[in-house]
Order: sequence, then structure tokens, then C-alpha cells
Amino acid sequence: MFNRFQFLFQTNTSREKQMRAAINQKLIEMGERERLKELLRAKLIECGWRDQLKALCKEVIKEKGIENVTVEDLVAGVTPKGRALVPDSVKKELLQRIRAFLAQHST
Amino acid sequence: SQPRTASHPDSDAGSVMSPAGCSHVNGFKVDNWKQNLRVIYQCFVWSGSVETRKRKAKSCVCHLCGAHLNRLHSCLHCVFFGCFSKKHIHDHAKNKRHNLAIDLLYGGIYCFVCQDYIYDKDMEQIAKEEQRKAWKLQEFCKTSGIGEKYSMWEPTKRELELLRHNPKRRKITANCTIGLRGLINLGNTCFMNCIVQALTHTPLLRDFFLSDRHKCEMQSSSCLVCEMSQLFQEFYSGHRSPHIPFRLLHLVWTHARHLAGYEQQDAHEFLIAALDVLHRHCKGDDNGKKANNPNHCSCIIDQIFTGGLQSDVTCQVCHGVSTTIDPFWDISLDLPGSSTPFWPLSPGSDGSVVNGDGHPSGATTLTDCLRRFTRPEHLGSSAKIKCSGCHSYQESTKQLTMKRLPIVACFHLKRFEHSAKLRRKITTYVSFPLELDMTPFMASSKESRMNGQYQQPVDSLNNENKYSLFAVVNHQGTLESGHYTTFIRQHKDQWFKCDDAIITKASIKDVLDSEGSTHKRTQ
Repeated sequence: MFNRFQFLFQTNTSREKQMRAAINQKLIEMGERERLKELLRAKLIECGWRDQLKALCKEVIKEKGIENVTVEDLVAGVTPKGRALVPDSVKKELLQRIRAFLAQHST
Repeated sequence: SQPRTASHPDSDAGSVMSPAGCSHVNGFKVDNWKQNLRVIYQCFVWSGSVETRKRKAKSCVCHLCGAHLNRLHSCLHCVFFGCFSKKHIHDHAKNKRHNLAIDLLYGGIYCFVCQDYIYDKDMEQIAKEEQRKAWKLQEFCKTSGIGEKYSMWEPTKRELELLRHNPKRRKITANCTIGLRGLINLGNTCFMNCIVQALTHTPLLRDFFLSDRHKCEMQSSSCLVCEMSQLFQEFYSGHRSPHIPFRLLHLVWTHARHLAGYEQQDAHEFLIAALDVLHRHCKGDDNGKKANNPNHCSCIIDQIFTGGLQSDVTCQVCHGVSTTIDPFWDISLDLPGSSTPFWPLSPGSDGSVVNGDGHPSGATTLTDCLRRFTRPEHLGSSAKIKCSGCHSYQESTKQLTMKRLPIVACFHLKRFEHSAKLRRKITTYVSFPLELDMTPFMASSKESRMNGQYQQPVDSLNNENKYSLFAVVNHQGTLESGHYTTFIRQHKDQWFKCDDAIITKASIKDVLDSEGSTHKRTQ
């Protein structure tokens, strides 16, 4: 019984992976990924997220010193907080947009 | 900057990374490397064409684990894609001794010897060019009219010099009041002051003047654009005492004689006259393009304020349409309460009230006024138009719509009625919103309605026709004796009332409850 459950669970995650890859491919092929990136960029600037991230980056640079800091230091120091700071409204809007795109281009 | 050493068994002892790049790219920069790098950018980073996008979609996955996320990088020395987050590209670099990789999301070049992204001048140049090329191929570039991808300002050598010699800096915080300054009333000059406040708070105009973009070609010292430039310097100087605009007033009297004298003038007339003189004095700024199209040159005034109004005259007999497009700087709207009937909004109803949207219950809105402005209007049997289709005079309907929207839209509510019988002020309250969508009034919307096309629901993601209120000019009093004041928006949501020399903080409610003779919105 236990093994069967595990098996089913694994199949679903691999299908999920396949689906993600297929969606990503479609988004790139139709140029929608670029459009979404531009939309996201504009939204994140508008809501002040980019300024917040800039401030966080400055903190990391102060900590490590400008001569020694690497991009990796910034990525590691800023990513978790950065992800958390994205407003729900922006996430909602992007998801809506992706859903609409998929509905239009369902195979 | 201090040299950083990296420990890699095959690197030269004491390899140096400078902020401009590293020496490890030298192994890569051989033979036809520039073209190879371009191809990598075109195919895998910024894919502009359909073919390259298809290829990117198919091939850009990690060769070790198949993932398409995880900060995928491509090796610069061979065809290998690997995750950065899972270190798959790092393993490849170590095993094959391929030192360089490129980030497929942002195009940055990573050096495994220096263990950081590097900024090689030649490679950056190629990256910039390829990004620009791909941007131009994007469809949204063509529809939105943004021809060029935004790139951050970088100071020139001269500008760096100036910055070094002038170390004093002014910091703009969220609450600072820079840009706010009162204007002394020089004798019934509030009609000028109120418009000046609106203009000095027009963001694009402010940016144009504060970045010194005006090149004066006028011989005398009577250039209004130069004076405008001076005015911006005064407003953003940080001085808190009110400014005395005597030079501006003198120039206005010189160039717009009909506004001279100490009587009360009309603020809307002043706005149009001021825009006209500024447009004429911008001779040096448009590279001689004015000669080609006197109605829409590329001076800053036209770029910001000029829109296109489409007028369609439809013959009632043959239904042929004659279309003209005229430039406009403002939209003058009739109000209910004037001697010309406001309601109904559709033709042929002979003054009977229309139900539904047209029914005048509650306050009139700006949208009502715009709907009236763009309604089809039956021109009547006494105003027949010569129809080129019928070759005779026929009755027709006329309709106005927006062909091209300006960046800053000025709405003028016609409160002053000057008809043969009476001169009076219409005080009917008209409510206006903070955000306005002009889509329903566009010529393109009218076309899709007529073609029976499905009217797209107002697309919240498409901001092309959306406007944000930033200035409201109000007139208090009567036609004979009155006073102009202006509400302006500072930063994103702070409003101030400008009453000649006195500036006070205002609430959004104050602004929206006001009469609003003229208000301006920016896209």
C-alpha cells in the first residue's frame, strides 16, 4: 500500500515538471516570455520593489566591502527577502496574464 | 581598486580582475570571436525572431538535469548548457577547463577563475547592440511605440568633471517640498500664476528644462522658452520665498498682446497662448523639422501636449465618410446648464431624456462630458455638406473621436458662457476621477464598435490610454471678478493648493470636490 502511494506521487511530480517545461517552451516560442518580463519589470518598478532591493543590495555591499563583494554574495544575501517583498497584486496579475495566454493557446 | 587573486590550478599566479574586465577572456578573444558571441546572444539570450525563439525554447535546458530554470548558463567555449544554482555549469567548467559562461537570462559573462561576473568593454558593447536589435523585433515595440529599450543614464566625462567640481548634492526624499514655490500676484495675474504652477509640475516638461535641453536660437532676450527654463531653476532652487514673475509677465505681454493689461484674463486662453509662443520659440530644438509639418513638429511642447482629433462627417444618403484629423492642445467640453442642450447624448431624440447611461441622475461626470463630446451629431437641414460621393449637398452627421492621444491631456470645462444674449459662469459641479481611461473615446474603439468586433473588456494590463490626474485649475467667483487657484500633485499622492504666493497642503478630497475649470492629466 505504501509503495503504491509513493509511486503515484512521483509520477505526478514528473508530469508537473513536463508541464512546466512545455509551458515554458510555448511562452518562449510565442515571445510571451519577453512580454511578461517587461510587464513584470514595469510593475516591480512602479510599486517600489526595485528601490527596496537596491537598498538591500547596498546593505550587503556595506557588509562585505565594495572591493570584495561578488554577484553571488548579492544573490545569496538578497534573494529570500526579495522574493518575499513582491506584492501579491503583482503575482496575481502575472498569473492572470499567463492563464489568459494558456487559455488562448491551449493545444 | 585592489587586485583580487583567485585560486584555480591552471590560472596564472596572481591573476588580476579589474572592474572593467579580466585577463581570462584573452583566451576566448581569438579568431572570429565577436561573431560567435553575437550568435550566442541572438540564439540563446535575446531571441528576437521566430526561428531563434523556437530554437531557444527547445535547446535551452540543462544538459545534466534537464531543468530550464535555476539560472541557466551557456558555456562560451562549447555547446553546453548548465544550471548555475545546482553548480552543473561549474562542474563543466572545471572538467573541461572552459573558463567562461554566459547567463542566459540577463547576458552577463561569468569567469570561473575570478569567480564573479566580469565586465569586458568589447563584450558589453556586443551585448548592448544585440539586446537593442532583439528589442526592436518585438511586436509590443511596434504597437506601443516604444522604439528604444530604456537604458540607464551614464554620465559623460564632462558631466563627471562637473560633478566633481560641484560637490554639493540635493537629496529628493519622499516628503521633500522641492519644486513648490509661491508666485506673487502682480495685479490680477492669477490667471497666469495658476497655469505656471501646472506647467512647472508637468513631469516631462520639468525633466526637459532641468536637463538643459533648450538650445536658444533667438537673437534677442525675448525667448519665452529661456524664461521658462529660468522659471524652473527658480522653482527647484530650494528658495521658499515666493517668486516674482515680472519678466515672464512682460514677455507674455510682448508676445500675446491680447493678454496684455491689468484686467482679469482667462486662464485657458493664457494656457493656449503660452503653449503657442513656447512652441514657436523652440526653433533650435527640433532640428528644422518644423518646416515639414507646421502642425506637429518635434519640439517639446508638441511632443508633450499635441494630440490628434479625428472628425468624421458621414453623408446620410450614400453613407460615405469624409475624415479629417486636426491637432489639439486641449479638449474643451460643454457643460450641462449652458444654453446648448447637454442631454440627450444620442441624435434625433428632440430633447427627450434618454434612459440608461444618458439619464442625468446624480452629478455629471467628466466621462459624461467626453461622451457628449464624441457623440454623433446630426448637422441638420440648414447645414448641408457637399458630399463627394453624391456630388451634391446632403444632410450629414459629424462625430469627433481621439485619433492620437497626447502625453499630457488638458481638459477645459467651458464654464464661461459668452453667447449673444448672456455672459455668465456655469457653476454646475462636474465630478472627475483620479484615473481616466480614454479608450472608449478613441477613433480605434469607434471603428471596432462599427465593425461589430468584440469590444475587449477594459484591459487592466494595457495602460496605453490611461491617464493620471496631476493638476486642477479652479476659478472662484463670477465672470467679472474672480480668482484662479491650482491644485498640483507632488510625488505620487501628495497634493498642494497654489493660491498665488500661498502654498498649502491639500487632501485628495479637496481636489476632487473642487469645480475644476481646467485640469491636466499625464499618461
